[in-house]
Amino acid sequence: MLSRQKLTAFVRSKGFQILLISFAILALIPVLIRDSFFLFVFTLIFIFAIYAASWNFLTNSGQGSLGHAAFLGIGGFASAIIGSRLSVAIITASKLESMPIGALSVFLQIFVLLLGGLLSAGIGLLIGLACVRLKAWYLAMVTFGFSVIANTLSSQFDSFTNGINGFAPATFVPSGFPFYILVISFAVISIGVMYAVMKSRMGLAFRAIHGNEAEARMIGINTAKYKLIAFTISTFFAGIAGGLYVYFIRFVDNSIFSPTNSFLPLIMSVIGGLGTVSGPVIGSIFLTSIGQILTTQPVTQGLSNTLGPFFPKVGYVGPPLTYLFIGVILIVIVVFSPKGLESLFRKFYKYLIS
Amino acid sequence: MDITAGTIVLTLIWGVAVGCVYMLLASGLNIIFGVMKLVNFAHGQLLMIGAYATWTISVATGLNAYEAILVSMGLVALLGVAVERLTFRKVLGTEKLNEIFVSLGLIYIFENAALLFWGDQSQRIVSPFSGLSFDLQAFSISYDRIVAVGVVVAILVAFGLLIYRTKIGLAMRATSQRNVTATLMGINVEKIYMITFALGSAMAAAAGGLYGIIFSFNSQSGAMMTIIAFAIIILGGLGSIRGAIVGGLLYGIAEQMATLFLGGIWASAVAFALLIAVLIIRPNGLFGEKGE
Repeated sequence: MLSRQKLTAFVRSKGFQILLISFAILALIPVLIRDSFFLFVFTLIFIFAIYAASWNFLTNSGQGSLGHAAFLGIGGFASAIIGSRLSVAIITASKLESMPIGALSVFLQIFVLLLGGLLSAGIGLLIGLACVRLKAWYLAMVTFGFSVIANTLSSQFDSFTNGINGFAPATFVPSGFPFYILVISFAVISIGVMYAVMKSRMGLAFRAIHGNEAEARMIGINTAKYKLIAFTISTFFAGIAGGLYVYFIRFVDNSIFSPTNSFLPLIMSVIGGLGTVSGPVIGSIFLTSIGQILTTQPVTQGLSNTLGPFFPKVGYVGPPLTYLFIGVILIVIVVFSPKGLESLFRKFYKYLIS
Repeated sequence: MDITAGTIVLTLIWGVAVGCVYMLLASGLNIIFGVMKLVNFAHGQLLMIGAYATWTISVATGLNAYEAILVSMGLVALLGVAVERLTFRKVLGTEKLNEIFVSLGLIYIFENAALLFWGDQSQRIVSPFSGLSFDLQAFSISYDRIVAVGVVVAILVAFGLLIYRTKIGLAMRATSQRNVTATLMGINVEKIYMITFALGSAMAAAAGGLYGIIFSFNSQSGAMMTIIAFAIIILGGLGSIRGAIVGGLLYGIAEQMATLFLGGIWASAVAFALLIAVLIIRPNGLFGEKGE
């Protein structure tokens, strides 16, 4: 159990200090650069970093999912629906005009996000049970199928989910700096926890399964159990990311289950560096900022003016060119540097200090 | 809507016609898997490109749509050769996940290139038989669907002859059994891979032409088709052509029936539910061989 001794050892440990320092640095960035667009992009980066890290965590146990948007969506819908019901209940009970913002609402926000994550993990456990015998593309296909089914169900039970037209969740934490702090707290803790698990004995079992499942079973690893654990942990954090995403953009509809959202964490992890801790974060920084900057008004306008005449059939050339570029980058990385940008940075760093 | 015996028969025939298009697409995917042990998730995008190519050729040159399909098969086969040489050849034999990543990159490239060149409006290929149909008392069937079934059967028969009656087919079968031994027997495995990929791409393009005649399509149409083709070969078992034929028919009929009885939004969900149910019971598909 968690004794006082263990707690002090944990507080003094290197991992905890790294967590604290990275949290402090991240919290200071928007204080130094006061710009609302910058803050917006940074918040999004860390939401997607959690999401990409959760996908990466699952892949580390040898299970590649092509349907992680299902869990992003389940977490998002669950926390938004629960949050809305809760806020209506509080407003009617206290006879106030709107939800009071304060320590209680922050606590409620965290509570609602965790509930979304837990629900996502619960469903993830069930889906994981169905997937435990499947490999490679069979697994990829089945997980993708679940995201399609999740989309259909959210449209079918529209009266409960409001999935077709979408809705805005209640406000618990005001957007801007307070929400950024919430996001980076979740990001630092989530990625820290996933890192700790990946470095533990359990993480070793995951990597053994990834390496060769039959051999892992032979040396006495209960592969089904560990694959299920990995699935549950991963879907929990994907659900958390979904909740944060929904509360951040203040809208949720069934487009959250789209294949684009399923492929995003994969592309981020691969570009950043598969199986590493910093990979998904680097990938998220890279991809989210490219995506956000290339879709801002001046850039889109400039692209339309310069390249638009070559492609007369499309109104805005910016988004398709961006995705085309992402596709090319993905292939180039997989073919020439399968370990991602992370390994390139590492090589560059080694070159610098030598 | 009233569901009469007539509508059920009509839906069944529609299912068979749509299923034939799926069957052709799935066979293309399957031949690539069978010989190269590679799953190209961008296969549906080749269908989409094939549909656009057919449309462009028939609009630009005034060729009959079915002749345009032949030209577009050739063009997409060339595209397939380029794709195989530039991307998949580099990652073959490395981790399986890399193939999934490369195909994902190809999906992004194909979809957005198509969007840039052909715009975001849906198109439909005008066939010489458009508007013509058999009129039976309870229902009518358009000629195009019947011609589609004929074209698919013709292509699959030609393909069967190629595989079982020619030397290249023999080399392909040998490579699919064991590529190292095939190399030792003097087969240029890389050339066989290239031919196989071109053949699979051409089949996708033919399916695309037929799809574009029956349905309207846009740059996003490929995604769902990849999934369907994949679902079919998983149902039938990876690498089994017989499985692809049975799976394609089953899937087309199931999809059309789900649309009839449950409504359009359920079409893909029911198909996936079927797929997941099959895989939970038999992790290697209905007719699949035992994996590694």
